Amino acid sequence: MTKVLGRSELESWLGEIMRERTLVAPRRIDDLVLFTPVQSVDEIAFDFDNTNLSPKEFFFPRTETLFTTVYKDGEVELTPAVIDRETVIFGIRPCDARGIAICDGPYLGDPPDSLWAQHREKTTLIGLACTRPAPQCFCSSMGSAPNDSSNVDILLTEVEDGYAVEVITEKGENLLQGVELKDSDVKPVAPSCDASVPADGIVEAVKKSFDDIYWSRLADRCIHCNICAYVCPTCYCFDIRDYKRGDVIERIRTWESCQSKGFTRIAGGYDPRADKGSRLRQRFCHKLLYFPEQFGPLGCVGCGRCVVACPVNIDIREIISDIQETGAKVGQGSN
Amino acid sequence: MVKEAIEESTPNPFVPYPATLKSAVDLTIDVKLFTLELDRVEDEFDYKPGQFAFVSAFGVGEAPFGLTSVAHRKEGLQFAIRRVGTVTNALHQLEPGARLGVRGPFGNFFPLEDYKGRNIFIVGGGIGFAPLRPVVNTLIDNRNDYGNILILNAARSPRDLCFRSECDEWAKAPKTRVELTVDAGDEDWKGRVALAPDVVEELKPSPENTIAIICGPPIMIRFTLQRLKQLGFGDEQIVTTLEGKMKCGLGKCFRCNVGEKYICRDGPVFTFDQISGFIEQF
Amino acid sequence: METEYTKQIRDKARELLENGTVECVIGYETGTDGINARPAFIYDPADVERLVFDNTCSHNLVKYLLNMKGKPTAVVVKGCDSRALNLLLAEKQLQRDNIYVIGVVCPGVVEWGWNKQSDKLQKRCVLCRQHTPLIHDILLGEPVTEEPPPDFTDVAEMEAMSSEERAAFWQEQVERCIRCYACRQACPGCYCIDCFVEQLDPEWVGIRIAPGENLMWNTIRAFHLAGRCVACNECERVCPVNIPLSLLNRKLEQEVLDLFDYRPGMSEDAIAPLITFKKDEKLGIGE
Repeated sequence: MTKVLGRSELESWLGEIMRERTLVAPRRIDDLVLFTPVQSVDEIAFDFDNTNLSPKEFFFPRTETLFTTVYKDGEVELTPAVIDRETVIFGIRPCDARGIAICDGPYLGDPPDSLWAQHREKTTLIGLACTRPAPQCFCSSMGSAPNDSSNVDILLTEVEDGYAVEVITEKGENLLQGVELKDSDVKPVAPSCDASVPADGIVEAVKKSFDDIYWSRLADRCIHCNICAYVCPTCYCFDIRDYKRGDVIERIRTWESCQSKGFTRIAGGYDPRADKGSRLRQRFCHKLLYFPEQFGPLGCVGCGRCVVACPVNIDIREIISDIQETGAKVGQGSN
Repeated sequence: MVKEAIEESTPNPFVPYPATLKSAVDLTIDVKLFTLELDRVEDEFDYKPGQFAFVSAFGVGEAPFGLTSVAHRKEGLQFAIRRVGTVTNALHQLEPGARLGVRGPFGNFFPLEDYKGRNIFIVGGGIGFAPLRPVVNTLIDNRNDYGNILILNAARSPRDLCFRSECDEWAKAPKTRVELTVDAGDEDWKGRVALAPDVVEELKPSPENTIAIICGPPIMIRFTLQRLKQLGFGDEQIVTTLEGKMKCGLGKCFRCNVGEKYICRDGPVFTFDQISGFIEQF
Repeated sequence: METEYTKQIRDKARELLENGTVECVIGYETGTDGINARPAFIYDPADVERLVFDNTCSHNLVKYLLNMKGKPTAVVVKGCDSRALNLLLAEKQLQRDNIYVIGVVCPGVVEWGWNKQSDKLQKRCVLCRQHTPLIHDILLGEPVTEEPPPDFTDVAEMEAMSSEERAAFWQEQVERCIRCYACRQACPGCYCIDCFVEQLDPEWVGIRIAPGENLMWNTIRAFHLAGRCVACNECERVCPVNIPLSLLNRKLEQEVLDLFDYRPGMSEDAIAPLITFKKDEKLGIGE
């Protein structure tokens, strides 16, 4: 027996939710689909592949105040930032939910990041399983699946008479309080996604290929913008800076990526990763070597956003495939 | 994992402890020795030689500096800071009484407990001597636990030598020898004029039961390392501290890594044995 | 999707690499979607079969020459790209004698995107006034002699809006900006070692990714390109959130054309009017 929620019941439930909490949902804006807070159910896009930017920004905002300082008359007052509003994200895909759970590794590792922790505590995820993966998707190659419910609080799957509902966590159950679900015979269909990207053993292959000229050649066409890192659900590097307005100083953090100039440049001018090849290699080694060695999962969930967004077609799937080949050749007398 | 982390209302690890600047004394033309005191007794933290802390110039920014004081001497938190960028410039302009922020301690430390019974050879170049100063002070404070101590304090010129008066004090300790050298002298300099690696060769420290700790500009380290190896030192006997651009110090912003190692958590202290095993070589 | 240019480019590349005239040929190859081109760097004559030229060859390859550290390099250029080359030569960022220019008379490129199959010409190609590369060591295709007059209808439409409408329009656009700087990185005119947005002392624009700073970022960059932007429109193509950057650049392009009768990148000696000082220049003020 599947529990099902009809489309109009879903809409009224979402309408209820947005009265007391911030409801974040996919919205069509020109040619883009973006997660934004919505004020009415009419704004929501129910039929979409995936959003152009990942929902990580509701846990790791583009810009976030870490704490404020008031330094006046020789007195210092430090106030840590507090996240007090409850948020519900509707329409998050399994790959993106996995991305957020993966970031728990570095962010909640000792010492835990209180802002990330607060966002996580105050946010409920209503996942939406994929009924048709897009051409760039490859979650099944990266340890997930189009209907993977591991990292959401509720998983909805579109079926004939509405949405099949799976309650995953207590938080999800609480959110569904008072919502009537129908029983139905319909079985949610589990579509398949690209499982052909050879990610098995990629950690070893990357390690073996570390010094290969492949990275330098790949970096030839890379323009070292930050697009891949910013659209990615698992990229979490940031910059920190102070801003003063009158007596109030805000220490903020913003998105930054290992590809930007000056990421590793120290005062005085020395930059250990000044050349393009080692900078580009850093990105892929972080995702496919350092991250899994430290935290377990690969730092890529197969959402394919970087593949779509990269202006010069640097394609992580191609790289994984190439590196498996290159790694296999190491120690066989080839260059 | 989420639940445990947030159950005890997670403290914000970015918020510094408020502190006050006690003094800022010129060491060289662009290096000052800052002494800070934490405002609240409950914020005081223990730290060991090799560790570092972030100092905030409120409104300007924050940067990491090696702790050059020794915790058990209760001399306040001391940092040798060179004026080289935005934050350090702002720090250099502060007067005693100014309020600052401190976050720490971070990083690993020199395993001085493991070095007990050994001879220690210390080579510091310019401001590179700053993280070595608490090492020397700890050794001196526990003099009988260590063998011979040989210290080489090198700099570009006499004006760039740090901690000269302390060198005189250290030389008075038993079985402790202090040598100074500069790349180029001046009218008043009566001492040795030679490059640090050449002095290492001249001094010929024996690798037998010895640990060498070297800190300084990359080029000095490179050639000193060469000489030490020629003298028979193994990579695991030579220790240094690495430097990198840091922002969080918490292993989260992933900026300070050398390959899989974070300088802020796995370092900054590493043996050359470890460094040569890093997948990424800088 | 191969045209006769493909064979000519491959033959030339093979020749240049085999006789050591260049160490690298920068051209195009088909990307992982099997449809759209991406930049290709060919070092080995055996690899020239990777090179293609078709109507998805949107990228401006000229900027890559700045990374080649003076090594002799061949590059495939279209009309717009040749203006970029002229700009970099005029501003002394490149040296003519270590570049072999494979010029292509380009009929226009279509909308570019991963897995995107389009027949629609890009806006800049619809408005193109320079189909024939201005600078080349070999020219593939028949030079086009008749070029249309300038068309700034899009700018006029923008100007027809009231200030409030325009302000609201740009506010909406800059809210989307994520400061990835892809526009800057793709732009051949943006080659400053320390971009103004990265300077700390003074800090011109903060790092906050927020509408105020984003507006400053995009408008100041457009101003730095006034009289220099060669209208290759790579900035707009690479933007991941589809901000219509061409409107900013073209507004200034029109201003420069009206004030100085100047088109950027038309020769390797011409210097942009806003970075030129002429003693006898009249400003039209107080005369």
